[in-house]
Amino acid sequence: MVDPLIKITDLTKDYGEETLRTRVLKGINLEFKCGEFTSLIGASGSGKSTLLNIIGALDRPTAGTVVVDGTDLNQLDDDELAHFRNRSLGFVFQFHFLLPQFTVLENVLIPYMIYAGPANPTMEKRAMELLDRVGLSHRRDSRANAISGGEQQRVAIARALINQPRIILADEPTGNLDTANTKSVFTLLRDINGQYCTSMIMVTHDRELAGRSDRLVEISDGMIIRDEYLTNPTEK
Amino acid sequence: MKRHMLFELSLARRFLEENRGQTLLIIVGIGIGVAVMVFLSALIDGLQANLIQKTVGRSPHIVISNAEYAAADAVTARDGSQVLLMDATQKTLRPIVDWRSVTTAMIADERIDTVLPVVDGSGLIRRGKVSRAILLRGFDLQQANRMYCLNDSIIAGNRNAQDGSVLIGKSLAEDLRITAGDPIQLELPGREPLVVMVDGVFDLGVAAINQRWLVMDQHRVAALLGTGDRVSTIEIQVNDVLGAELVAREWGVRWPHYQVESWQQSNASLLSALKSQSSSSYTIQVFVLLAVILGVASVLAISAVQKSKEIGILKAIGIRTVSVSRVFMLQGLVLGTFGTLLGFGLGLAMSQAFVVFAKQEYELLLKPVTTIVIVIATILAATLSAYLPARKVSRINPIEVIRNG
Ligand SMILES: Nc1ncnc2c1ncn2[C@@H]1O[C@H](COP(=O)(O)OP(=O)(O)OP(=O)(O)O)[C@@H](O)[C@H]1O
Ligand SMILES: [Mg+2]
Repeated sequence: MVDPLIKITDLTKDYGEETLRTRVLKGINLEFKCGEFTSLIGASGSGKSTLLNIIGALDRPTAGTVVVDGTDLNQLDDDELAHFRNRSLGFVFQFHFLLPQFTVLENVLIPYMIYAGPANPTMEKRAMELLDRVGLSHRRDSRANAISGGEQQRVAIARALINQPRIILADEPTGNLDTANTKSVFTLLRDINGQYCTSMIMVTHDRELAGRSDRLVEISDGMIIRDEYLTNPTEK
Repeated sequence: MKRHMLFELSLARRFLEENRGQTLLIIVGIGIGVAVMVFLSALIDGLQANLIQKTVGRSPHIVISNAEYAAADAVTARDGSQVLLMDATQKTLRPIVDWRSVTTAMIADERIDTVLPVVDGSGLIRRGKVSRAILLRGFDLQQANRMYCLNDSIIAGNRNAQDGSVLIGKSLAEDLRITAGDPIQLELPGREPLVVMVDGVFDLGVAAINQRWLVMDQHRVAALLGTGDRVSTIEIQVNDVLGAELVAREWGVRWPHYQVESWQQSNASLLSALKSQSSSSYTIQVFVLLAVILGVASVLAISAVQKSKEIGILKAIGIRTVSVSRVFMLQGLVLGTFGTLLGFGLGLAMSQAFVVFAKQEYELLLKPVTTIVIVIATILAATLSAYLPARKVSRINPIEVIRNG
């Protein structure tokens, strides 16, 4: 059997000091394979974001390990984690978080520029292809805060793809969008998952979207209570 | 420079551009601070250079004499005070015998410009019923011209003083109602009165000189006084006025039996006035710099709060902590640089306006060293004052930002 892309072992996470300590994640064991589209569901406060942030190297576990592509994240220092986030992961958040000081095209290029400086023509071409892919190439020179919320989220998806990461983490990417935009953003993520074979882990409250994933993981009170592959996605 | 620093620079620039009003305000603020520093320096330095020029421009910077403090022991014995030992009124001047070798040695020192051996004597001049006490000064008129600008100061008579010329001070000439070409009677102690012709009248711009000096060639004065081949003092001008004290000290060590006194020693009170003027100017400048530091720090602290969302997202997508710090330090650097440039323009304009409108008799003086110090100090201060905000903002936890939107 091939090694999984992500392997989570006995993961726990506590918040708070001493007496007020609460255990938010209570021993999570999970594996994710290449190219999987996973939906993570659960009640509010169940620990979905906490888990996603730890997988995303934004937070450190209290105990347990996360190994991504052979790298044990516990072994990395903060700068190495930053570099890991930049090279290996793409993030899409509920709030779109583009930088309003930059244009749409520049925002797509920011993960690249953080490490490599100003973009060369090859990178600009790739950024344009991604903008094209999310249907926003005509907005390339707009200020990032001058476009609609749905458009901003699509730019954020293009941004997540610029460094060609193997994993994309999305925390309620459609949480702030109306029905039409929700549909288009989800379809986009699904298509990208198919097209680039990118592993996708998406936190959502939307049961219908979750039902159209490859795999459904449900978390309740810090524990996995359901983990199943959906053999018959409802889409198409 | 690594390439990712270019991105940091463009981030810094975008952040500054976004808060255009704030940015311009702080640049103007730094500019005003720098302008004050520039203007104040130019004013104080100009004023002091003028004062020093007035004090020693046309006079010796170092005087070598063979003084003997005759009363010194007695004074010390009475009250035990060391201060009275140095009392100049108690000293008697003895002639310098080896003046030729002293002169030769000093001319060889390249810090020294002019060396003027002088034979001094006192006496009276008389015309009709009017008489005046004079200081008879004998020196080489060519050399003296270099030190006192004699030729340019002559207001009556031949402007080109010859070796045989007899010149007197302007006030003396007025008192005796004489001018070039008139005879006067010269009375020296223990000598027969004699008549000399006045060849010229000078105005050296110093009342004490204009009232007392009668100038002739060194050898003629020596013959008149019967002093032989000796001089009273040796006067020296150096190239660097402010360096006179060091030169004097070095030669004083070499000739311990002579007094080698720099203008700084004989003008100690002027010098301490200049020093306290300078230090009050430095104090003001330090406070101006402090204001610059606080201004930049507070503006960047505000900007750091305003930009915490952007920083959070940048950190989430992998920017390193040092990079974030640098973005804010760079903002400090940019503010400092533009502020300093603006301040220099303003400061020069202020100085120009001062010269034109205040009509002072002295010129403002902006020394290159001062300029460099102000530039470096301000830019450094602005950059370093970004340090604390930079450190704080670079530690933003991206999770906080992501969670709260
Ligand atoms: N920094 C923190 N300090 C203390 N408690 C925290 C902190 N972050 C999260 N928690 C707690 O951990 C629990 C899980 O939070 P988490 O954000 O993972 O939930 P979630 O499943 O994403 O919920 P939602 O669907 O509302 O986003 C919650 O009870 C929350 O209050
Ligand atoms: Mg959440």
